[in-house]
Amino acid sequence: MSAGIGIEVKERQTLWAKARYRFLRDKPGMVGLVVVLIFALIAIGVVFGWWGNDWSDIRGGRFDSASSEFWFGSNVNGQDIFSRTVYGTRTAFEVGLIVAVLSTVIGAVMGALSGFYSGTWIDATILWLKGVLDAIPFYLFVVAVAYAMQGQAYGMHVAMIATFWTTTGRLVRGEVIKLKELEFVEAARSIGVSELRIIFRHILPNTFHLLLVQCTIAFVAAIKSEVILSFLGLGIKDGVSWGGMLAESTAEVAAGEYNNFLFASLFMFVLVMAFNLFSDAMQDALDPKAA
Amino acid sequence: MVRTSATVLEVRDLVVEFSTERGIVRAVDGVSFSLMAGETLGLVGESGCGKTITCLALLGLVPSPAGRVVSGEILIDGRNIVGLNDRELRRIRGRDVAMIFQEPMTALNPVFSVRSQLVDVLKHQAGMSSRQAFVRALELLDMVGIPAPRQRITDYPHQLSGGMRQRVMIAMALACNPRVLVADEPTTALDVTTQAQVIEQIAKLQKELDMSVILVTHDLGVVAQMCENVMVMYCGEVVESGTAREMFASPAHPYTAGLLGSIPQIRKTRLQRLPVIPGLVPDLLNLPQGCYFNQRCAARLQRCESVRPGLERSHNSERQVACFNPQAGK
Repeated sequence: MSAGIGIEVKERQTLWAKARYRFLRDKPGMVGLVVVLIFALIAIGVVFGWWGNDWSDIRGGRFDSASSEFWFGSNVNGQDIFSRTVYGTRTAFEVGLIVAVLSTVIGAVMGALSGFYSGTWIDATILWLKGVLDAIPFYLFVVAVAYAMQGQAYGMHVAMIATFWTTTGRLVRGEVIKLKELEFVEAARSIGVSELRIIFRHILPNTFHLLLVQCTIAFVAAIKSEVILSFLGLGIKDGVSWGGMLAESTAEVAAGEYNNFLFASLFMFVLVMAFNLFSDAMQDALDPKAA
Repeated sequence: MVRTSATVLEVRDLVVEFSTERGIVRAVDGVSFSLMAGETLGLVGESGCGKTITCLALLGLVPSPAGRVVSGEILIDGRNIVGLNDRELRRIRGRDVAMIFQEPMTALNPVFSVRSQLVDVLKHQAGMSSRQAFVRALELLDMVGIPAPRQRITDYPHQLSGGMRQRVMIAMALACNPRVLVADEPTTALDVTTQAQVIEQIAKLQKELDMSVILVTHDLGVVAQMCENVMVMYCGEVVESGTAREMFASPAHPYTAGLLGSIPQIRKTRLQRLPVIPGLVPDLLNLPQGCYFNQRCAARLQRCESVRPGLERSHNSERQVACFNPQAGK
C-alpha cells in the first residue's frame, strides 16, 4: 500500500476507529487491558459458580503450604487461600464497579448542573454539599455511615460513593464552565434546543474523557479503600475480600506465614497496576481533541 | 424574481443594556429596521458596535442575566417576541429565525459526528423519524455544496476544513426551514477563496428557499455583492441605512464614508497610506456628548458636540442618516 493511500484511509476514519487504532498500538495499555480482562473473567467465573465458591470450606490443616491441592496453601482455619483469593477478585470487582459507576454518574450530573448554572443557587447548593462532604475525614465518615447502616450489606459502598463523587463533580464543573462558553452551545440554543438537553446531550459528552479517567481512578480507589475498611472491620459483611485476607495476615506475617499476605497483595497490585495502564491508554486514545 | 413585499421581521426601537461592574452599558440603542421576505440586509460596523447583540436579540438569546432587552419590540410576522418565555422562544428559534456563527471551529460539537448532530436537530426540532432525518441530512449537505455527503456525514468536526464546517453549520441552521437566516460574520474566520464560496452558497440558498437574510459583516465587498439594503451601526446606534447601491455610490454619514474609504483599492498611483478613520471607538461606558462620532469626524460642526443627531429620512429616497452635516453626493 502506498503512503498516499494510507493517509487517505486514515483521513476517513471515525473517532472510534481512530481511538481503536491508537489504543491497539499502545503496548502497555494492551497488556493492562488483557490483564484486566483475565481478572474480569475470574470474577465472572465466581459469579457463575465455576470456581472459587468453596472459599469457606474447611478442608486442609492449619497453614498448609502450597501443594497440588492448595495452590496457594491454606489459612489458619484450613481454608484454601487460592479459592479465597479468587473469590476476593469478585468482591473487588463488585465494590469497584458499583462505586466507580455510581460515583461517576452522580459526579457528572452534579458537576454539569453546577457548572452550567454556575453562580446561581443551584451551583451554590451543590458546592456547599461538596464542601460539607469533603470536610469530613473519609474514614470517620465511612465509620459513621457504616454505624448508621448497621447490618446493611452496602454501607461501605454508600459511604464511598458519597465521598468519591465530589472530585468528579469538581472536575466536571470546571470543564462545563469552560465548555458552556463555546459557540456550539449558543448554536444549539439558536436552533431551539432546551437547556437540560444542552447540558446532558451536548455539553456532558464533551467531558467523556474526564469521566472515563475518573471512573477508573474511583475503581482503583474503591478497591484500595475496601482493604483499609476491611482491616478496620467495616468491610463487606459476607464473602471474603483481599482486604479481609490482609487483615488476617497481620497476625500471621509476624509468625512467618506469608501466603495470605502475599497472594492478596499480589492480586491487588497486579489488578490496580493493569487498570491504571489500561485507563491511561484509554485516555490517550479517546481524547477528542487529538486529531 | 417576483418579490413579495410581506414584512417578515420588524424591529422597533430596540434597546439592549448590559450591567457591568462599572455601570450600565447600552449595547443597542434604539435600533429599528424591517425585513421583507427574500430580502438581504447587511449590518455593518466596527467590533463592539452592537451588531451581534442585535442579532442575538432576534432569537431571544441576549446573554442573561447581565444583558436584557430594556425596551422595544421585535415582531416576527406581527408577533412580538420580546418577553416571551423560554419555551415559546424555543419554538421560534430554528423555525422562524436561525443563526450561523462566526467561528465554525467551535460552533460544532467536537465529540459528535456531522451525522449525529444533523439528525439530532432534525429529529428533535423538526420532529422527523431517524430514517427521514438521515435522508434529509444528506439532502441538506448536498444542498449546501458538500461533495460526497454520504462519506462526509460520518466525519467529526475536526476532520473537516473551515469552509466545510461552515457549510455544515449552514445545513444545521436550514434544518427547520427558517424564514430568516442571521449570518453573524459567517466568513470572517475563513480563507478568502472559501469566503467567496460560502457567500455564494448563502446567496444561492436564499433564492432557492426564499429566505430573508441578515448578514453581519466587516466586509463591505460582501455587502455590495449580496445585500439590497445596508444598515451601518456605530456605538449601538444606526447611523445610516438605505439601499446598498445608493450608499456605496454616495455615503452620507461621515462614518460610512470613512468605512468605504478604508477599503484598499488598486489605483494607478500608489498611496502612501491607506486612509483610516482616526481615533478609536469610544468606551460605551463613557460616551461623548452629542454625536458619538464627533471626536473622530472630519465634518464636525459646533452643534455635533452638544446635540445628538437623530436618524432622519432624506427628502427623496429611502435613505436615513443620523448626521447634521451629511456628505454631499459626488
